[in-house]
Amino acid sequence: MIGEDLIDRILRDGEKLADEVEVFYARGQSVSADIKKGILGSAEESEAWSIAIRTIKDGRIGFSSTSDPDRWRECLQAALASGRLATPQQWGGLPKPADLVSTASSSDPNLVVSVEDAAGMVDDLLSGAAEHPVEVVGGGANLARSYLMVANTSGTLYGMDRTVAAVSLEAIREQSTGYEFDASPFRAEIDPGSVGEQAASLAARSVGGSDIKTGRYDVVLSPVAAASLIGQVLLPALSGRNVKAGRSFLADKIGEPVFDEHLSVYDDPFAPGLSSTAWDAEGTPTRRLVFVDQGVLQQFAYDLKTGYRYGEKSTGSAVRSEGDLPGIGFHNLFVDGPRTKEPGDERAVWIHDVVGAHTANPFSGDFSVEISNPFWIEGGDLVEPIRTAMFAGNVFEMLREIGGLGKDTRRVGRLTIPSIRLNNQQIIGK
Amino acid sequence: MVDVRYYDIRCVRGETTVIDIDNGVVESAGTSFFDKAVIRVLGPKGWGFLTRDHVEIDSKRELNALVEEAARLAAVTADEIDLADAPRGALPVPPLGEDPRDIDLEEKTRLLAGIEDAARVPGVVNTRARYTEGIDSVRFLDSSGNEYSYESVRSGFSVIAVASRNGVMQMGSERDHVITGFNLRGKQDLGRKAGEIAVSLLDAKLPKGGTHRAVLDPELAGVFTHEAVGHASEGDLIREGASVLGGRIGERIGCEGLVIVDDPTLHEFGFMPVDAEGVAVRRTEIIRDGILTSYLHNRETLAAVGNGIAGHARAEHGAPPIVRMSNTFIENGDATYDEIISECMDGILLIGSRGGQVDPGRGVFQFNAEYGYLIEGGEKTDMVRDVSLSGEILSTLHNIALIGNDRRMSPGYCGKGGQSVPVSDGAPHLLLENAVIGGRGE
Repeated sequence: MIGEDLIDRILRDGEKLADEVEVFYARGQSVSADIKKGILGSAEESEAWSIAIRTIKDGRIGFSSTSDPDRWRECLQAALASGRLATPQQWGGLPKPADLVSTASSSDPNLVVSVEDAAGMVDDLLSGAAEHPVEVVGGGANLARSYLMVANTSGTLYGMDRTVAAVSLEAIREQSTGYEFDASPFRAEIDPGSVGEQAASLAARSVGGSDIKTGRYDVVLSPVAAASLIGQVLLPALSGRNVKAGRSFLADKIGEPVFDEHLSVYDDPFAPGLSSTAWDAEGTPTRRLVFVDQGVLQQFAYDLKTGYRYGEKSTGSAVRSEGDLPGIGFHNLFVDGPRTKEPGDERAVWIHDVVGAHTANPFSGDFSVEISNPFWIEGGDLVEPIRTAMFAGNVFEMLREIGGLGKDTRRVGRLTIPSIRLNNQQIIGK
Repeated sequence: MVDVRYYDIRCVRGETTVIDIDNGVVESAGTSFFDKAVIRVLGPKGWGFLTRDHVEIDSKRELNALVEEAARLAAVTADEIDLADAPRGALPVPPLGEDPRDIDLEEKTRLLAGIEDAARVPGVVNTRARYTEGIDSVRFLDSSGNEYSYESVRSGFSVIAVASRNGVMQMGSERDHVITGFNLRGKQDLGRKAGEIAVSLLDAKLPKGGTHRAVLDPELAGVFTHEAVGHASEGDLIREGASVLGGRIGERIGCEGLVIVDDPTLHEFGFMPVDAEGVAVRRTEIIRDGILTSYLHNRETLAAVGNGIAGHARAEHGAPPIVRMSNTFIENGDATYDEIISECMDGILLIGSRGGQVDPGRGVFQFNAEYGYLIEGGEKTDMVRDVSLSGEILSTLHNIALIGNDRRMSPGYCGKGGQSVPVSDGAPHLLLENAVIGGRGE
């Protein structure tokens, strides 16, 4: 009994002891082939199984999880015990079954979780990298398939398959490094050869960079650099929980222009992506959410708990990793806008990635980070590498006026984002 | 099983208790359970790793089947891997002062709430505290007949305060984690400190970016040690050609008197009684008197690279062991704090850490201080905020001008290869010349 029978059993047993019970079930299999020093160094296969139980009694939410099917009774008891300590809150019930009108696909029926396939992808990564004079130091390929299910005592029961194909490669030439990656639910969307070639190209072309003087420059953030900074600062500020707790810079700004009118930010759970889904991690139907429309702040994201507590509605924004409590998050977040002017046409400092984005201050938006693979860009071309520098600024301020969005939109984790030009930014040279 | 040169299995079964209090509301307080096993097989060439939930380690039949599956994975690898011999044995785990299992969840929640409440000083708009307790039962056995089991208990908390005024928002945070028993009693002072720092940062200045003299406090100097030296000395990165410290054993890379150590035997937060591949743990001096002397190794990287000892393999439960730091620090020098501040004359004092990151191949690192003070004419003056420091591994250590005599260790978690493990790092106060400070002030 390790599948749907067990879940049904937990719901029935739990219902006798609590008002409501929810089970989030995940099982998955993944393989990876890892590169060590330019060849396939190790191969890994994982199987994972977990259930997470939430109980609600008199507005008190209890939680526990286990990866051991034999301990489900202990897990249910632990959830109930935890509920007895939680502060009671307004609670309007777990979602009832809904007619899900939209569909979302994040599963590729043709993806096979096979170590031989992953090894083949590694071969392609390496031949791509071989187009440039570099040493490959790491990287690999990963193929995974999982099944997720949410079920509750109101009769909701949704299940879905997910697949992931992912590759990465890290190359070095002298003291210049290059890292590239890609991930998609669909195997056919991943081109390991091109990822390997791009990582190697970054390392090879960054050799012999010139120094840059401290001062103000126009910069172009690549989608990777933009996603790092925006992911650390903007996403937490859109969470309803942070808004209500006084931890969001954007609180009280609904209806106000917060960003450049050429910028919109929205979550589209139905677009193809790694986390596309028609129901969220609590079984609430998802919908397209526009957070920032042409620079104007529209709304925040909520899950059930935060929604009930503050008199807001869940926006279907609950996400969770296996064995964890649900929290407020995003499914497929897009940073988008009209492409009026190519960001790299006029001379600027192009920044591929940043080191230390996680040290940015998520409340104020202030950051100062080391930059990776910076180049002078001119007429859209990377013309000359820059040795190294720091980039300091404030994410909220810099998005107020942008100098253009690129046509190079790409998926970086849960974000889909183009390159962004920012004029008059502070670069600290060495 | 002709294609199996070596195998081991490491099972970690345990419980994690988390209490989360946000603005006085107990958001969650509960215990979850896990039971993970990793089987490693060294085939004719490289490794095959298998991760499973809930393995009966005592069932010979189950173990054989898993080894066979992992051998099938190892067969696709091309890397020629050898394992160095290494001394075996496990240290005793330090005794627990107060066993957190003897304290009920209600009392833990009440004590954490006291710390969280203490952070709510005037000016603070949000407080949050989190208690984390991990009980791990580890069992290890390998094909050479070695077998170990031990239990590790970790208990600690973090507290964050956010202060806000006229659209300016600042935070203060404190944390304390130990391996020696229950760690929530008498800690309200740390909550209050987080609150007070958040409020005073509202009036702090933005520092001017550029090259300055900098004094690092023991916590930040510890992160500096970890980011600037620790990662780049990890044997796997050396072997892969991904570190600027490769091929530099015997070279002077730092000032005279500089000693940098990784020591998993210390009863700090990165302690382990035996490493994740069953090797006895010992102290490694990475840098002695400014000269690079050793790398950190596991059996595989020791065989491939040399210079150092094995015993630095660590793993998160359910993940294969990799080379990691444990308790990493700079040994005391002889300068006093007052001497360091006065010698700095004009510069910046950087305090606490908001994390850091390193690109060991390029040899650059970045990390962020929680806050700082300007030093003017040898005196500590105005408070500054949102200040970071970056540098190059190969030059920065030469720029250490003074080493203090007041080393202190700080607990934390370190991420590498998707795995997070408990570590501590520390140092005495340091005076750095030519530090590249990132700040937004003009």
